[in-house]
Amino acid sequence: MKDYILSLRNLRKAFGGVVAVADVSLDIEANKIVAVIGPNGAGKTTLFNLITGYYVPTRGEIWFQNKLINSVSAPKRVEMGIARTFQHILLFSHMTVLENVMTGRHSRSHAGFIEAALRLPRFHREEESITLEATRYLNLVGLGQYARQEALSMPYGQQKLIAIARALASEPKLLLLDEPGAGLNTMEKKDLSDLLHRIKELGITVVLVEHDMDMVMKVAEWVIVLDVGRKLAEGTAAQIQRDEKVIAAYLGEDDL
Amino acid sequence: MAGKLFKWQYLIIALIAAGLILLPFSGDIYYTSIMVIIAIYSMLTIGLCLLMGYTGQISLGHAAFYGTGAFISAITTAKYGWSPWLAMPVAAISTAAIAYFIGLPIFRLRGNYLAMGTLGMGIIIWVLFNELDQFTGGPSGLPGVPGLSIGGFAFDTDFRYYYLVWGVCAVMLIISYNIIHSRSGRALRAIHGSEAASEAVGINVSQFKIQVFVLSAVFASIAGSLYVHYLAYVSPSPFDFMFSIKLVVMAVIGGLANIWGAVFGAGAVVMIDQHLGTFGELDTILFGLILILVMIFMSHGLIPGIGDLYEKWRTRRAKAQDALSSK
Repeated sequence: MKDYILSLRNLRKAFGGVVAVADVSLDIEANKIVAVIGPNGAGKTTLFNLITGYYVPTRGEIWFQNKLINSVSAPKRVEMGIARTFQHILLFSHMTVLENVMTGRHSRSHAGFIEAALRLPRFHREEESITLEATRYLNLVGLGQYARQEALSMPYGQQKLIAIARALASEPKLLLLDEPGAGLNTMEKKDLSDLLHRIKELGITVVLVEHDMDMVMKVAEWVIVLDVGRKLAEGTAAQIQRDEKVIAAYLGEDDL
Repeated sequence: MAGKLFKWQYLIIALIAAGLILLPFSGDIYYTSIMVIIAIYSMLTIGLCLLMGYTGQISLGHAAFYGTGAFISAITTAKYGWSPWLAMPVAAISTAAIAYFIGLPIFRLRGNYLAMGTLGMGIIIWVLFNELDQFTGGPSGLPGVPGLSIGGFAFDTDFRYYYLVWGVCAVMLIISYNIIHSRSGRALRAIHGSEAASEAVGINVSQFKIQVFVLSAVFASIAGSLYVHYLAYVSPSPFDFMFSIKLVVMAVIGGLANIWGAVFGAGAVVMIDQHLGTFGELDTILFGLILILVMIFMSHGLIPGIGDLYEKWRTRRAKAQDALSSK
């Protein structure tokens, strides 16, 4: 009996007549690095948006740690332990690198307007622990020395790492990374692969959407292939590489 | 670099605070009374800065909350004989409740639509001030609003009222500063940056928008109460649509995301009003012009903009000196 952290049952999302995700069922095993691949328009990002609560499914079920979470709001899912990054990074402007990661602690802290306004001792203790934890995650992605820099002044590759640190700061059990390797150079990609392994060692399940097949083959322990909203295949990287349906989807049917 | 800037800021704040404390002793009643109005407008602008500058949510109807506080204070004290000290918190809590229930639907709107929604809200409430004349006195207003006093000490001179309103204003500045530099403040700024990314770190976006809207409404309500107990009279005209726009001008001049600038913005607008009021509509034209120029050339606001210009001038001078010494 395998331990599944996330299970989708016949999950469907239609935008008007366009079916972006068509009755997908899949299970994500806990503490694995899983890659979701597929051509453009396969429904990968839509799938992420469904899992994180940004879209309401047309039908089907999303189970996280054996709980049905269809009706749980996006912020509440973060609290439950699902964190994500975005294809377009979306760091917060007018904030330092550290402050960006500190916002990641939002779901693990409590002080509201009144506590902040009055500055009670409890507020200071919490603020201290937020800073400490944020610094820890910033160090984990190797950017501790840039804490006080303006986040949007950082180079593209490092912004991606800041976004990962921000997601990690919410202490997720499941981390969804939307194209973390896109736009990175070879060196940065290698560092990213190492980072993914370190994240896994923290006991976090990592699901990534990725186009770079070299990287997928190196880091992913399990690969799920989507095509036009359907699950085409899944298996280990080696199995997927040999799968004829997958090859056909990537190269076009005519080549068969 | 950053540390140096901070010390400068503290020095400037200390100088300004000292100036504010000493100003009434000059004996100039005219400026003391103007400064009372500036303090009251600052309270409004500070709230608007939290809402617009930090959270990125526009309100073109904030005069309505200012008016709600003013009318509740005036009606309960002048008509029903309540103590102003009871009327003021009751007004603030009622305004908070109104802002909350307006906030629930209105923050389903974004950007231009939110501007339209808040604009409509302001106009509707202003119409109520005019039409509920058995309570509000209608367009001719309600006289006989009592002044404030503690025990035997009455805040019945501009000199005394000055310290009261600036004291309240200082408390609001400190509260706002504390909120901005906290988990909640980061959440507000995050919402300004990206709502999608805010939700991804667990921020309940609409809840925080409503909270900051309510907070700014409470500031406005307190300002309204202090205004009517100062004037001893209330009528709907100071709370109309044009005043909501003027509040936005104050916030923009001060630099939207800058609560200290809010005080300067309020001051600048009141001064322009005072000195150009005699030329009829000239002040409206000038406000429009300032708004356009600030938006084009100093998108961070007038006060931070001047800081930027100074910084630019300094680096240019430093470069020129380097060039000279290298020769």
